[in-house]
Amino acid sequence: MTFGLSSTSDKSVLKLDPRTKLCLLTAISLIMVGGKTVGAEYILRVICAAIPFILLLTVRHIKSALIYMILLGLSVFCEGSVIPHISGAANLILMIICGILSRFVPGYMMGWYTVRSTSVSEFMTAMDKMHVPYFITIPFSVMFRYFPTLGEEYRSIHDAMKMREIGQSVKNPFTYIEYVLVPIMMSTVRIADELSAASLTKGLCAGGRRTHICQINIRLYDRLLIIGALAMIVLFFVF
Amino acid sequence: MIAFKNVTFAYSATDADGRAVEQGSISGLDLTIQNGEFVVLTGGSGCGKTTVTRLINGLIPHYYNGNRNGEVLIDGESVPDTPVFETAKKVGSVFQNPLSQFFNVNTTDEIAFAAENQCCEPAEISKAITETAASMQIEKLLDRNIFELSGGEKQIIACAGINVLSPDIIVLDEPSSNLDSEAIEKLKAVLTDWKSQGKTIVIAEHRLYFLRELADRMLILENGRITKELTAAEIKALTISDTEKLGIRPMMRPEIHCSHQNKDIQGDVLLLEDFCFTYKDGKHGINIPRLELPANRIIAIIGHNGAGKSTLARNICGLERRCRGTLTLNGKKLKAKDRLHHCYMIMQDVNHQLFTESVRDEVMLSMTDKSLTDEQKIKRADEILSQLDLIEYADTHHMALSGGQKQRTAIASGIASSKPVIIFDEPTSGLDLAHMKQVSDQLKKLKDMGKTVIVVTHDHEFILSCCDHIVRLENGCAAENCPLGK
Repeated sequence: MTFGLSSTSDKSVLKLDPRTKLCLLTAISLIMVGGKTVGAEYILRVICAAIPFILLLTVRHIKSALIYMILLGLSVFCEGSVIPHISGAANLILMIICGILSRFVPGYMMGWYTVRSTSVSEFMTAMDKMHVPYFITIPFSVMFRYFPTLGEEYRSIHDAMKMREIGQSVKNPFTYIEYVLVPIMMSTVRIADELSAASLTKGLCAGGRRTHICQINIRLYDRLLIIGALAMIVLFFVF
Repeated sequence: MIAFKNVTFAYSATDADGRAVEQGSISGLDLTIQNGEFVVLTGGSGCGKTTVTRLINGLIPHYYNGNRNGEVLIDGESVPDTPVFETAKKVGSVFQNPLSQFFNVNTTDEIAFAAENQCCEPAEISKAITETAASMQIEKLLDRNIFELSGGEKQIIACAGINVLSPDIIVLDEPSSNLDSEAIEKLKAVLTDWKSQGKTIVIAEHRLYFLRELADRMLILENGRITKELTAAEIKALTISDTEKLGIRPMMRPEIHCSHQNKDIQGDVLLLEDFCFTYKDGKHGINIPRLELPANRIIAIIGHNGAGKSTLARNICGLERRCRGTLTLNGKKLKAKDRLHHCYMIMQDVNHQLFTESVRDEVMLSMTDKSLTDEQKIKRADEILSQLDLIEYADTHHMALSGGQKQRTAIASGIASSKPVIIFDEPTSGLDLAHMKQVSDQLKKLKDMGKTVIVVTHDHEFILSCCDHIVRLENGCAAENCPLGK
């Protein structure tokens, strides 16, 4: 499965608390999207760009870590060395593409890491400890839980289209999208309906605080990282 | 004790034009289920057996809306007046579709989920999980990704979750629909264990053979009313002709064996060569160097879950591009890409393969012959639809059709594509006797049209009703390939 919340976290070298991940995610998104590329903020940007890379390596997603580095490296290189030497429409287009990539990819990768390395129950436990109400937590966790299902549904529909020799994606992109979306929406409605019914019979929303068998703790390195993330945010706003 | 007192229920629904309508489900039901009793509910699709389970676990009226009369009581307390999460402490539920009944992705988390919701102590939950895993022998399944498990394993995880909270009443809604015989045996072992613990069990099912020794009482429903009630002794005495008369599936699992006469294939042959394929996980796959199948016959592919049945079907169909095998048909050697033009698959979930706004459009979508004019296409489509009794639904959207009608729509577009090989993946999972017979009639019709039909199935009753030839797979290899002995 390549999408959705992780099932187990055996593979990770460094097990972070979901709250730490959220803190880092906020810091990285703020600084990468809003920061300037000169002065002290440049250093902050370098640190922020490096964090997702290192974290992806700790959960052994070496391939995505490398792709991330290459993408980011290319766009930074273009911004610095290629764009000043070209002009006109090409300059504009390249500038937009590189600007978007270098600003959004780190945040996106951090989000990807967070989703890939947190299980549904870790997420629910962490949200509970932060006293986030259930009407926010439950829809979110159902959404994450739904991603792998969506992938399975998409593959079946794609197979059916291949077999019926319809909706070649290149020739008629709009027909293709229509043919994929209609069955996916139908099955989404059905699965969501069955899932809600099943969760109710398991006593979800029983009132009172749920208990959790999953143990999450803020450890020393979590504290350090949270302080670091907060410090970066403060620095970012001061400068 | 569960008591139904003169219960009537009709679902609120909207018809195709958006008007509110009521679909009657059960009427005037009086039923008392004693503590520790094992009750089987059966009957044709839409007879109201699922509704009975929903009334017990409180999903009616708390989740499904409708017009309700009468009383449903558990130990004297009214279920409709109790919140669902209170009922959940007493009643555990297992559903038909293993895919959509899990909230978590991790198996251990899922087993703990119901108990966590009831605010049990984490230490106690962990202890209960360890004990359950030991007693059900599922240690291997703990801390796994649910999406990597087979349908049978998923159902066992659902049962384990119930074990942890250990409610007194357990309702199951067609739990065996997607399971093979081996997984059904495991389910039976769990049910036997629950029964020996004195739990009250209510199970709605079509497949009945695995409940023969367990059932204390069997209720046959028709149009929302109990038409027949059988005691344990009567259930055990049912013969195949009795069940046939009652319109239910047999109480014995029919055996399937090879015929030893005329082993050589007569007539045309479908020749499969070099069908070797492994999934990316490196564990599952098929390895079939050579397989001869009779053309214009109905061929059943059988074997346990994970033996490679669906993989073989996908490869025959040409859906796996990496497969290097060839299929020789009428002297033509077909590679994976060419096979897509010669094979048509009816998927287990037909919702995935219906794309257009009406049944007629669906059939016409498959006619790729550009020399036909639109009028000719419509004429041909209507011919096919009348062969499959679908002509009155020609302008209906497929969402408004029943499961069987959707399946026939998919078959109709298969016929329209004029491909010579038609493959079915589990066409009878979750079907009652009457609908199963309907499907086997469709398959015979396809054979009469000169098609070669390949069916992936574990439904022995269905195989005996229409197949001519069987291929049994074991660990991805063809262990048996022979005509079916009648």
